[in-house]
Amino acid sequence: MTVPSNITKKRLVFVFAVVLIVVFALIIRTGYIQIARGEELKKGALEQWTKGIEIKPKRGIIFDRNGKKLAISVSSYTVWASPADIDDPIDTAKKVAEVLDMDESLVYEKITKRQNVEKIKQWITKEEAKKLRNLRLSGIEIVEDNKRFYPYEDFASHILGFTDIDGYGLYGIEKTYDRYLSGTPGRWVKTEDARGRQMPYDGERVYDAEDGLNVVLTIDEVIQHFAEKAAMESLITTKAKNVSIIVMDPKTGDILAMTTLPQYNPNNPREPLDEKEKEKWKELPEEELQKKWYDMWRNFAINDAYEPGSTFKTIVAAAALEENVANMDSHFYCNGFIRDIPGGVLKCSRWYNPHGAQTLKEGMENSCNVVFVNLGRSLGKEKLYKYIKAFGFGEKTGIELTGEQGGIIPPNTDVIKEINLATMSYGHGIAVTPIQLINAVSAIANGGNLMKPRLVSKLIDNEGNVVIENKPEVIRQVISKTTSDMMLEMMESVVTKGTGTNAYVPGYRVAGKTGTAQKIIDGKYAPGKYIGSFVAVAPATDPKIAVLVIVDEPEGMYYGGSVAAPVAGKVIEETLSYLEVEPEFTEEEKEQFEYTEVVPDVRNMTIGEAGEILSQLGFRYTTESYNITENSVVIDQFPLPGTEVTKGSIIDLYLQEEYNN
Amino acid sequence: MAKKVRKKACDFTLLLTTLLLIFMGIIMVFSSSWPEGIRTMNDGYYFLKKQVIAALVGLVAMLFFMNFDYRIIKKLSKLIYAGAVASGLLIFTPLGIVKKGARRWVNLGFTTFMPSDIIKLGSIIFLAAFLSNRKDKIQDFKKGTIPTLIIIGLSCGLIYAQKDLGTTVTLGMTLISIFFIAGMKISHLFVMVVGAIAGLVMAIVGDEDGYRMRRITAFLDPFADKANTGWQAVQSLYALGSGGLFGLGLGKSRQKFFYIPEPYNDFIFAIIGEELGFLGTLTVILMFMIIIWRGIRIALNVEDLFGCLLATGIVALITVQSLIHIAVVTSSIPTTGIPLPLVSYGGTSLVLYMSAIGILLNISRHVNLDRS
Repeated sequence: MTVPSNITKKRLVFVFAVVLIVVFALIIRTGYIQIARGEELKKGALEQWTKGIEIKPKRGIIFDRNGKKLAISVSSYTVWASPADIDDPIDTAKKVAEVLDMDESLVYEKITKRQNVEKIKQWITKEEAKKLRNLRLSGIEIVEDNKRFYPYEDFASHILGFTDIDGYGLYGIEKTYDRYLSGTPGRWVKTEDARGRQMPYDGERVYDAEDGLNVVLTIDEVIQHFAEKAAMESLITTKAKNVSIIVMDPKTGDILAMTTLPQYNPNNPREPLDEKEKEKWKELPEEELQKKWYDMWRNFAINDAYEPGSTFKTIVAAAALEENVANMDSHFYCNGFIRDIPGGVLKCSRWYNPHGAQTLKEGMENSCNVVFVNLGRSLGKEKLYKYIKAFGFGEKTGIELTGEQGGIIPPNTDVIKEINLATMSYGHGIAVTPIQLINAVSAIANGGNLMKPRLVSKLIDNEGNVVIENKPEVIRQVISKTTSDMMLEMMESVVTKGTGTNAYVPGYRVAGKTGTAQKIIDGKYAPGKYIGSFVAVAPATDPKIAVLVIVDEPEGMYYGGSVAAPVAGKVIEETLSYLEVEPEFTEEEKEQFEYTEVVPDVRNMTIGEAGEILSQLGFRYTTESYNITENSVVIDQFPLPGTEVTKGSIIDLYLQEEYNN
Repeated sequence: MAKKVRKKACDFTLLLTTLLLIFMGIIMVFSSSWPEGIRTMNDGYYFLKKQVIAALVGLVAMLFFMNFDYRIIKKLSKLIYAGAVASGLLIFTPLGIVKKGARRWVNLGFTTFMPSDIIKLGSIIFLAAFLSNRKDKIQDFKKGTIPTLIIIGLSCGLIYAQKDLGTTVTLGMTLISIFFIAGMKISHLFVMVVGAIAGLVMAIVGDEDGYRMRRITAFLDPFADKANTGWQAVQSLYALGSGGLFGLGLGKSRQKFFYIPEPYNDFIFAIIGEELGFLGTLTVILMFMIIIWRGIRIALNVEDLFGCLLATGIVALITVQSLIHIAVVTSSIPTTGIPLPLVSYGGTSLVLYMSAIGILLNISRHVNLDRS
């Protein structure tokens, strides 16, 4: 028997020591993993075990101010597959495809994916859901979810906006109030093994979804309809690119209606309403199509700034009255031109037949540029700039819609040269958004308070309890009550005697101001492209509504007084009667109804001849054009020959323009 | 010899620890194999039943070898080794079966077994006998080192041919340990170690796609490629981590639900960690430590070189394999599939290890020790 040597014994002890060290290291390592890194690893493990299916909350309703539902969520059904639980994919695919009218191979592909859950079809009908449930296919689940529906279709779409297929707000109120409307999703949590099946622990846990809040708008569905109807008529008759109308409560800043036509149907926001357009769009490449979508979703009323033209004279006048540099009866003289400003000669719109001696009130009625240039100059650039800022121009109004523009005003008074001061006085060389303008005019009309435009009055829960309230908010007082009253008086005479007679509504005292401006495209005045606008307040004695009508690029006639004023008149008449404001006819009005006159045909005459004929019959006339000579020919008139109008009405004349470059 | 040697009692601590470990193994195999048993065999008890049968057979084998004089084994060593080699070659005959892409099993008709387990024990016995017969020539290069390396090479080669790298390394290290304890020349060992390292480096660097490199380095940061090369390591760490100090409770592993492949086998230590926590894994490590300690004590005290080398080999096999298993599960070394001795599922393995412990216990009966 051989005996182990000493070397053997020593080496055994040595090896044992090495093993001890290794074992000790492994104990440390195991302890480190299980205890020191335990929490972190456990989190990773938990993440892979638990699978959650989202339970969608019900999206809030959007109401108009009277509780009419403008956007609702309707129950719908979505079919999901959990591929791991499907026993016979071929048979299942066949049955599912048959019920849902889908391609069998597509269904097969979906239900055999290596995924925990796979959506087969969203928004199936109740009948389809019922049929599918009756088949009792394992691994096919039908989940109830919500689909956004706009019952009025193409109505107030620029305000409401729309959502994507998963119910996230993309535009309009749907987007700006998305976090309130969307609610808190619930979760259906289960633990799953690596093969996607439920593990026998913990069971399932359901965390209920919390429904979204309902939004109550300041919009009145009826007034919105009036506005959209009037805008549509205008769009058809003027063949304009856009027609925007805003109706506001001047005292609270509530937007009662706001529309820009053409619009779209939020139920189907990626298709134009026009059938011909729809055909055209089918052939467009993706990139151009997207551009078309974005154009269609643009809300001119807040997304675009334009040169306001004469409507801006109300701001200048209000500033001058407030600063006491003039009163309604201050005297001015219009000889047709302003020649003493370095940088150019400015013309009055009626330079060929100057207005002559004018009070400020008359200057407003006739929209005389010379009067306002002089008014602006006596006010001075500092003070004018102060009021431009005070009325909120150059900054966003904060209306709760996406993509609001701030307009363009000079960054400070230093850059305002004499010529800029002069042109700004009649609304040129400055850009405003429609919402800014109506908000400023509302301030002029309501006694001087600039309000924050309000579109959402409150958020309510499903029981009707008010959760969040937006109260009307005064930003600042810009002018005094006295100035406000004077302004209303002057603006009323614009409608009764001046350029705004087309907005005249018998029985209601309408105050307003016309505006016509050439469009600026790519930094230059675009020939033949105009924006005719009209801003009005009614009744002048106690303003209930302010209305702004903007006709963008009308074909043919384009004066604010002829294309926008009648639209505003129509909206005012319908709205005030809907709001049950009693009409009061003055004696004068009753009398005037009896004196009517037939409009003569002055087309193809020179401006001189036409003026003579019209004056003889007691008509007044306007031409809001600049580039004309004494021999310019009348190419169109409004109202058209043969129309019966009140004696003394204003006839708009459109002249052949001549460009002298 | 006429002198009658009184039969001494065996090492009771070793016996008790072994039985406890096997018992714990059966429980853990049952727990961790349940999901797969249900899924593939439609019987959650499938793996438990097979493991219990193997344990009973193993118990008989252990009791037999406990009472079977190990010195007789020395005489049979050549025969045993020849049988082991032959069984290793059987897998290349029609009797060999391929499971999961590897040819590692032999079907004898009434049962299947893994020749690699038999080769492991057979080559230990044979090398111990071989070296104890030429004690004086061990340090001799031509008569000691060369023949020993041939035996090691042959044994490991047979297993390597089965594409089982983990077991090859285990056996290689075990046999080298026997040679080292027997008294091999340090300079020879040094050359061998350098050679082995060089070979390993060549194998890794020589791989053009860097696949082997990625596989090997994956254990350093398994989370970097969680879905592929790092998958097993990450799942194993998740199991250990979710166990924490006290564990999720017996039977409550989540990771055994197909996150860890064959959780009852190469990653059973991870499931122990998940269900029984650090206290569980520490207990298992300490039980192995006791077995190793008792085994080395037996080797130290036996007055017979063959007994000493045989005990060394058996202890070395258990040590190397258990430590590699634990190191893999804790992502301390590159991932290689290797079961935990006495604990993991596997009939041949359990029977062979229990037999080996039986032999160790028999050697302990020839030693003068305090057997408390």
